[in-house]
Amino acid sequence: MKSLKNHFAVIFPLLVLLFAFQFTKGLDSVVVDYEEKIIDEYSILLVTAKDFKYEELYTLSSKVKNVEEVSPKKVLDNLKKDISAENISLIQLALPKFYSVKLSSFPSDKERVNIEEKLLKAKGVKRVEAFSKTYNQIYKLLSVAKTLTYIFASIIGVIALLLMLKQMRIWVLEHKERMDIMTLFGAAFWMKSAVLYRLALVDSLFSTICVVLFFWFVPKYKLIQEFADDIGLIVPTIDPLKDGVLLLAISIFFALISVSLVMLKVKNEQP
Amino acid sequence: MDNVIKTVNLSLGYRDDKPVITDCNLKIKSRDFAFITGKSGSGKSTILKSLYGEILPRAGEIEVCGMDIKNISSTRLKALRRVLGIVFQDYRLINEWSVEKNVMLPLLIGGFSKTICVKQAHKLLKHVNLLHKAQRYPMELSGGEQQRVAIARALAHNPVLLLADEPTGNLDEYSSDVIWSILKSAKEQLGTTVVVVTHKIPTTLGLEYKHFFLESGVLYEVP
Repeated sequence: MKSLKNHFAVIFPLLVLLFAFQFTKGLDSVVVDYEEKIIDEYSILLVTAKDFKYEELYTLSSKVKNVEEVSPKKVLDNLKKDISAENISLIQLALPKFYSVKLSSFPSDKERVNIEEKLLKAKGVKRVEAFSKTYNQIYKLLSVAKTLTYIFASIIGVIALLLMLKQMRIWVLEHKERMDIMTLFGAAFWMKSAVLYRLALVDSLFSTICVVLFFWFVPKYKLIQEFADDIGLIVPTIDPLKDGVLLLAISIFFALISVSLVMLKVKNEQP
Repeated sequence: MDNVIKTVNLSLGYRDDKPVITDCNLKIKSRDFAFITGKSGSGKSTILKSLYGEILPRAGEIEVCGMDIKNISSTRLKALRRVLGIVFQDYRLINEWSVEKNVMLPLLIGGFSKTICVKQAHKLLKHVNLLHKAQRYPMELSGGEQQRVAIARALAHNPVLLLADEPTGNLDEYSSDVIWSILKSAKEQLGTTVVVVTHKIPTTLGLEYKHFFLESGVLYEVP
């Protein structure tokens, strides 16, 4: 029972840490998905007095991915009812060129202003319309959520490390007698601390398996899927191998750091 | 190596208190059997602790197996402890380990293969007449048996020097006699140098030995 409690005291912070990491990773992928989605829909409208080609615009900003000319046909068709064909031809000649400029990624406010300024400075460009407001609000909200999650995950990481250090200290006290005896017989550092490293590795493995199983099964629940569909999000799934290895590496890293820090302190205290 | 242990004007103490040992001059040659006696609290164990580097000297010189303990590095101290055998009054066995594994400890630390460790542990356990209890745990043994295991552990790696701190302090007369005969055979059969801290030298040892007496922090050799 005592042993289980001791293991749980390490497993719990590791679980919280891994959950925080995987959750942050999931949210990150949701934001990336959303970015891709809005960048497909988003474009800057360019009103020019002359023809423009992609290459010309790309030299102005490397964020420009594609340029399409917007045909004024629809506007002219509406005018045909009230204006004669001759005048329509004259208007057609006087009309500026319209271009829809697609970008490679969704720009931040600063980037957008920068792109607008550069495009406006180009010879023949009369007007630039960025239509940023609608997209920006949701994007900013997601970005804030992402930043907050990073901060939250970092705080969780620090707390988890402190909790683990505390538990390692208890482990060391429990194993102190054995380690002292081994010290008197000239045992090397790694040999004295081998048991603690082994315990830490076992707990890391257990925590990783728990988190992988959670993130593997939870997105498969109908309720979760329906909720995600309702708000138009794709629930990020876990790759048991790729993500599992990453999570295991993180938990092992934290567990080993905790054991090593405590053991180094003990090493300096021993005769 | 002429002297296994050599101390010159050695001064020892704890923290900032008055020194426990003020003038210790000790010379013990290879294959010697030596006793350090004195009243309780006179500092016998302190001298022994300084020999395996648990206490560093305040002043004077101390050399064990050719190593200067005063200026010893942690790596050299580990190396020294690997050629020493230490027996404690309170046995200091690892309770979570079997008797066999306890005896194997110095060999495991020395990096020997498990086969060699087991073979040597069984040989030593047979020597102290405890082979039949190899798979038991220390808490399942009597005090005398635990001390025999501790001696087997101390001898497992054929140490150059065996240091014993009151090895019979907690034992009855019969168990004490068994312990003395094992220590005697360590010197005679294995050629180990033995230094024993005790408050009473056994009368039936039947062995030539050196005797140092500690009084008021000063060590005298008893002729």
